[in-house]
Amino acid sequence: MTSYILRRLIFLVFVLFGVSVLIFGLLMTFSPERRAAAYVTTPQQAENIPKLVEQYGLNKPFHVQYVRWVKEVAEGNLGWSLVAARPVAEAFWNYFPTTLELNLFASPLVIIVGIWLGTLSGVNRDTWLDHTTRIGAIIGWSLPTFLFALVLLMVFYGYFDLFQPGIISDKISLWVANNPDEFTRYTGMYSVDGILNGRLDVTLNAISHLVLPVLTQVIVVVALLMRVMRSGMIEEMNKDYVITAQAKGADSKTIYNKHAKRNAMIPVITVAGQLVALSMEGSIAVEVVFGRQGMGWWLAESATQLDMPVLMSVCMFIGVVFVLSNLIIDIMYAYIDPRIRLQ
Amino acid sequence: MRKILLPLIALCLMATTALAATSKDTFVFESYGTVRSLDPACAYDVVSHQRIMNIYESLIFFDGSATDKFVPVLATEVPTMENGGISDGGRTYTFKIRKGVKFHDGSELTPEDVAYSIKRHMICDQEGGPMWMMLEALVGVSTTRENNKPIPGIFEKIDKAVEVKGDTVVLHLPKPFPPLLAVMAYSYGGVVMDKEWSIANGCWDGDIRNAAKFNNPAFGAEPLHKIANGTGPFRMLKWEPSKEFIFERFDGYWGEKPALKTGIARYNKEWSSRKLALQNGDADRVMLDTQYLEEVEHMDGVTVTSVPQLSVSGALFCQNINPVGNPSIGSGKLDGEGIPTDFFSDIHVRRAFLHCFDSKMYAEDVWSNKVIMPSSPNAKGLPYQIDVPTYEFDMEKAAAEMKQAFGGKVWDKGFKMVITHNTGNAQREAAAHMLAENVMSLNPKFEIEVRNVDWKDYTVAYRKFMYPIFIIGWGADFPDPDNFLFTFMGSKGVYGKYMAYKNEECDRLLKEGRFEIDPAKRQKIYERIQNMWYEDAPGCMIYQKIDNFAYRSNVKGFVPHPMFDQEWENLSRIHKD
Repeated sequence: MTSYILRRLIFLVFVLFGVSVLIFGLLMTFSPERRAAAYVTTPQQAENIPKLVEQYGLNKPFHVQYVRWVKEVAEGNLGWSLVAARPVAEAFWNYFPTTLELNLFASPLVIIVGIWLGTLSGVNRDTWLDHTTRIGAIIGWSLPTFLFALVLLMVFYGYFDLFQPGIISDKISLWVANNPDEFTRYTGMYSVDGILNGRLDVTLNAISHLVLPVLTQVIVVVALLMRVMRSGMIEEMNKDYVITAQAKGADSKTIYNKHAKRNAMIPVITVAGQLVALSMEGSIAVEVVFGRQGMGWWLAESATQLDMPVLMSVCMFIGVVFVLSNLIIDIMYAYIDPRIRLQ
Repeated sequence: MRKILLPLIALCLMATTALAATSKDTFVFESYGTVRSLDPACAYDVVSHQRIMNIYESLIFFDGSATDKFVPVLATEVPTMENGGISDGGRTYTFKIRKGVKFHDGSELTPEDVAYSIKRHMICDQEGGPMWMMLEALVGVSTTRENNKPIPGIFEKIDKAVEVKGDTVVLHLPKPFPPLLAVMAYSYGGVVMDKEWSIANGCWDGDIRNAAKFNNPAFGAEPLHKIANGTGPFRMLKWEPSKEFIFERFDGYWGEKPALKTGIARYNKEWSSRKLALQNGDADRVMLDTQYLEEVEHMDGVTVTSVPQLSVSGALFCQNINPVGNPSIGSGKLDGEGIPTDFFSDIHVRRAFLHCFDSKMYAEDVWSNKVIMPSSPNAKGLPYQIDVPTYEFDMEKAAAEMKQAFGGKVWDKGFKMVITHNTGNAQREAAAHMLAENVMSLNPKFEIEVRNVDWKDYTVAYRKFMYPIFIIGWGADFPDPDNFLFTFMGSKGVYGKYMAYKNEECDRLLKEGRFEIDPAKRQKIYERIQNMWYEDAPGCMIYQKIDNFAYRSNVKGFVPHPMFDQEWENLSRIHKD
C-alpha cells in the first residue's frame, strides 16, 4: 500500500507538469497585447499597452515565458493577482479558508443527507416516498445554482430580514479590526476562530452567514449522491445474498444497513470524493450570490479578467486536490471492499 | 441531533437579527469596484481615488459641485492672479501651506512634505499611471521615459519645478497650463504625504541623483500600495482587497470633525444582494446601475439623486481601417461585399450615418430620458461648453448623403460591414443596433452586423484600427475641455489617433487652447473646435452618463459633483439622522 501511495504521489508531479503546460499554452493563445490589456482598467491606460508588453516580457517565446514562470514559482513567487490586488500566495490564504469553511459545513451534510435519502428511496422503491425524493432530487439537480441561491436570498433575507449575506456582520468585523490583540485569526474561518478565541458570538454570527450558502450547496449537490446511492441500493437489494437473507427471515434493518448499504456505498464514495474535490474550487454561484469571496469567486473573476498568475495557480491547486482526493478514494475502496485490498 | 440543531438555528437567527442595520456613526457602502493601489502616484481609477482622497488631502479641492472653483485644504488659499498666487503669466503657482496639520502617525505637515510629495509622484511615474498630467504641466512632457529608459535630465527638471520658499511651495511651469488647479484638486498630483514616513517605507529617498531607482515601480510593487498615512479626516483601519475597506475617523484631524466614526466600503457584485442590503438598511448606499434604477426609485426609506457625469460616449468613425485579417470590413473593397479601408474618409458617409441615429428615440427607449445627449465631446458641465448643431434624424437626408458618397458608388454597389461594441454594455449595444438597422433600411444593398467584443479585447483591437466604428466612452481626468476635445479630436489624441482624424486647424487650436490663460480667448478657441465636431462629423456622440446615487433617506450631506462617479464617497460630509 505504501509503495502504491508513493507511486501516486510521484505521478502527481507529472500531472502538475501536464496541467501547467496545458494552461500556460491555452493562455498563450491570447496575443501579448491582450494579456497586457488585463492590466488596463480605463481607456486612458490603454495607451501604454505596448510598453506593458515590453516591461513584462509578454512578447517572448512560449518556452522563455514558461521557464521564467516555473523559476519564479520554484522561488515561491506565484505572481501578482490583479483581482485580489496582492500576491497570489497571499490572496490564496485569504480566499481558501472562506471556501473551506463553506465546505466544512456543506460536505458532511451532503454526504449524510445524500446517503440517507438514497437509502430511503432505494429501500422504499416506487412508493410515494421514493417518488417525492426523486422529484426533489431532479428539481435540485436541474435548477441553476444561482437561481436557487437568489430565491433563498429573496425569501429569507428579502422578506424575513434573516441570514444576511457576506461572511460576517459589520459589527463583528469592526470589532475584530479594532481588537487585533484580542482575536487571533488562527484558521481564517470565523466559525472556527470564534471557538478558538472563546468568542461564541463570532462563531454563531459566522454560522448565521453560512446557513443559506450551505443550504444551497447541499440541495444542489445532494441530488447526484442520492441518485447514485438509490441505484446502488436497488442493485444490492436484488442480489442473491439479500434475497437469501430475507428468505431466512433476517431482520430487514440488519440486511439494509449491514450488508446492502455497505456494498452500495462503493460507487457513492467515488462520487462523494469527486464532489468534495469539486467543491474545493468553490461553488462559484454560491459565493457570488451570497457575497463570500472565496476560491470560486476568485477563479471566476480571474477567468473573466484573464488574471494569468491566478488561473495558473488555482488550476494547479485543483489538479493537486483531484489527484489527492482520488488517492484517498482508492484507499477507502480498499478499506470498504476486502476484494480490492487483496488485489 | 435535533436537540443540538434547533437551539443552534435559533441562536443563529438571533445573531443575524441582532446585528443587522447600520449604526448612526457608521456608513456602509456596497459596490463592486476594487482598489488597484493606495499609492497616490500610481492610482488611476475612481475606487482607489475614493480611498486615497478620504485618507490623504490635497492642497485645494473642488468647491461644492463646481468644476472650476476651488477651496483651500492644505493650502491656506487658492492661488489666483488677484492674490498673487498665480504669477509670471501663469507660469508660477505659489501655495501657502497650512500650519498645525498632523499626519495620522502624529508628525506635523511642513512645506517640505508638500514639495517632496509632488516631486515623488512625478519621479514614480508608473507605466499606465496618471502622472502624465503633472509632468505635462510642470516639465512639458508626458512621461519620464523614452524607450523604457529615463529621459536624461528629466529628474533634475522635476526637482527645479518644485521649490520650497519659507512657508510656501512654488511650482514653476515651462508654459501656462490652465487646468493645473483642477489636476491638483484631485489625487493625481496634489495629494500630500509625510516625507520621513514615505522614505522609511521605501519611497524615493529625497536625493534627486537616486530618482531613477524609484522610477516606474512594477505593477503591485508600489511602495505605498497597501499602506497609507495622510492628513485626512479618516485613516485606514483595515483593507481586505475585494472584500472590504474600513475607514476610521482620525481624531487628530485639523479641520471640522466628521460626524461618522466609521466608513465601510464593502465589495458586493451581486445586484439582488446589494438591493436587499439597501432595502433592509444593512447598507446606507449601494452602487446602482442605470438598468436597476426603477427597482430602487420608489423603495421606502431610499432617496436617489441623479448626477450628470463628465463622461461621454460616442460611436467613432475610423477613416483608415486596418485591412489585415479584419473580419469587420468584408472584402475590404467597395464591391458590395465589404467596405474599403477609407470608407469613413468620405464625409457623405459620415453624415449619412449621423442622420440615421435617432437620438430622441434612443434617449427615450434606452435611457427613459434619464440621460444627456451631447452635441460634441465637450461634456455638459465642462467650462466653455456650448450646444452646437447636430445632425437630425432624417432618413431622406441620410439617403441623399449616401447617394453622394464615393461618387454614387456606395449607393449602387452597397456594402457589408460590422459595428462593434464592448460586451455587457447594453446602452452601447442598443445604439449600435439602432444605427445599423436605420442605415440598412436606406438601401437593401446595405448590410451591417452588430458584434460584441470583450472589453479587454476591444481595447486592444480599436488601437489596431480594426473597427470601422468603435463605440467608446471617456471620463474626465480633470474638468477641462482639453481633456475631452484633445482626446476625441486631436490627431494625437487617445481616440482621435485611432479614428485617423486629422484637421490641421483643429490641432493648432487644441494646442493654443491648452496653454491659453485668457478665459475669453479660450472660450473662442473651444467654441470653434466644438463647431468643428459638427462640420467635420468625425463621429456620433451617443450619450453623457447620469449616475444615480441611492442612499438610505436618513443619510445627509451628499454633495453631487460631475467629476465623481458612483464609486466616489466623501465621508467627511456624510451624517445620519
